[in-house]
Amino acid sequence: MHAATLPQSGRRKPWLSHDDSSAFILLLPVAAVLFAVAVFPIIYSFYISLFDLKLTRPHRVPFVGLDNYFTVLTDQHFWDAVSRTVMFSVTSVLAISVIALLVALLLNEDFPGRKLLSAVLLIPWAIPYVANALMWKWIYDSNYGALNGILYQLDFIDRYMVWLGDSDKTLMLIANAFVWKEVPLAAILLLVTMKSIPADLYSAAKVDGANGLRRFFHVTLPALKPGFMLVILYESMMAIRHFDLFFILTEGGPADASHVVAWRIYVETFRNLSFGTGAAMSYILAIATLALSYVVIRSLGKRV
Amino acid sequence: MATSSSTARRKRALMQNLRVLGLAIASLVFLLYVLAPVAWLVSSSLQQEAALTSVPPQWIPKDPHLDNFRVIFSADDQERVTYETRRAADPASGGFIPSTAKNLLPAMGNSFIVSVAVVILNLLVAVPAAYALAKIRFRGRNASVYGILITRVIPDIALVVPFFLFIRNLGLLDTLSSLVITYLAVTVPFSVFILVSYFEQLPDELDKAARVDGCSRLQTMTRVFLPLAAPSLVALSLFAFLTSWNEFLLALMFTQTAASQTLPIIVASFTSDFTISFSFINAAGVLAIIPPVILAIIFQRYIVSGLTAGAVKG
Repeated sequence: MHAATLPQSGRRKPWLSHDDSSAFILLLPVAAVLFAVAVFPIIYSFYISLFDLKLTRPHRVPFVGLDNYFTVLTDQHFWDAVSRTVMFSVTSVLAISVIALLVALLLNEDFPGRKLLSAVLLIPWAIPYVANALMWKWIYDSNYGALNGILYQLDFIDRYMVWLGDSDKTLMLIANAFVWKEVPLAAILLLVTMKSIPADLYSAAKVDGANGLRRFFHVTLPALKPGFMLVILYESMMAIRHFDLFFILTEGGPADASHVVAWRIYVETFRNLSFGTGAAMSYILAIATLALSYVVIRSLGKRV
Repeated sequence: MATSSSTARRKRALMQNLRVLGLAIASLVFLLYVLAPVAWLVSSSLQQEAALTSVPPQWIPKDPHLDNFRVIFSADDQERVTYETRRAADPASGGFIPSTAKNLLPAMGNSFIVSVAVVILNLLVAVPAAYALAKIRFRGRNASVYGILITRVIPDIALVVPFFLFIRNLGLLDTLSSLVITYLAVTVPFSVFILVSYFEQLPDELDKAARVDGCSRLQTMTRVFLPLAAPSLVALSLFAFLTSWNEFLLALMFTQTAASQTLPIIVASFTSDFTISFSFINAAGVLAIIPPVILAIIFQRYIVSGLTAGAVKG
């Protein structure tokens, strides 16, 4: 510590030391920006959620207290959207974890061409979500899409299918597009964790006579736990809030098959122009996300 | 003795071959999984509408052409982008080129301006904050870290309602500034975390030595740490740029006309219209992915280190 900041003998440390104040000055820009674009909007969002604010009648905005929350939480449609969101997120995160693990295992091997594969891996990550959505919409196209084309050529189907018009499949097809884009980041996180596993662990296991498969299950997988927790935390937050694919691929349809919470917030707010309930829903989503990340971080312990 | 060692050698050679074969197959599956969807998008953008709508699909264009891209780049020439001229030039093609095709390049310009502005603002606020968080032991340091962390956990969809009302009240709807301001909420926390984790790796002695030599905090930061932090500054700039370039939800809320619409918005607007030429929509998609993909591949080293640093911290 810098000498000037040491407390003088017999006296308590001043409330604001020299270091404290220079740190505060350096943090001021970030604090100002984050207050303006994050903290204040979050507080304001809660304030709005206490009013019956409808842009269809902007001059009468009655205070309704927590009524919007009761409206949202007692609405069966909201809970249906929640269960679809959970379904979408759980499927996506599971698929992302498994595929990313396979990719990480491949890229952890030493072989010519590994560098090229690592570069290729970044392509889905860099692609804008909108372009990703457009790409999959075209692949799933019922008349000219690649999915129909390839399944038909391989004789898996005998007529072209309306993929996104099938309520049983829609959510999973959107999840597939989401997974494709999210795998790279998850794979990179797992790969970095994998590289940090000490080589001694493997040689020790080898000495003990463990074969490749046993080494994978007894050394690699347990050591990957922090990496997996990170992937699960990050990807479930991404999946819960995801909007772009739903907007472009299905607009919540067919019927309500892909009507997830993020889509519901958008419809309630910007199509029904009901800002009060929209804000209440956003708040519920934000709190649920925070609670989820708290639980995951707690179970991570002090590992990360 | 001799036979058993030769069996062992043969066994090892077999294992080695199996490993090579396994890696080759795995690499092929990997390449197919990652590249096939993109390849199909690119292939579609180079086909005539008639070829594109054939059943089964033409996987590799027999007669590739760049008409769809030409339309985008010569789009201020209004004549070329109408339904009729398209039809006259190519009777086989169905689907029309929308008049908003001429907005694609300006939208790309908008995306570029917004992204660069967001990068600059990120650098300005994140560098001092990260230096303070990494190198100064001050009261409330942990609280500050958690405070910044929490703003990153809040879903952006939870912010759209207050954002929309503010932007409207400030009279900033349909301006680029509305996007620059709101994108800060999404990018700044991540930038701070990338930089903090990088600064923390740099030895504290550097800081002390500079201070003993009479540098102020600000001088230490700009003269000693900033040059050393170049790699993480590159990573931070890339993330802020790509996030802004790719952002859709907030742009959808705040932009209404070509004055402020970004590339994702224009591209998305094509997908909802069933009469627009498929090959043209795919060309627009290709145009939207080229800049970010090129950046990602050129700077992949920085991206990987930045992602892991930012993610592990955040």
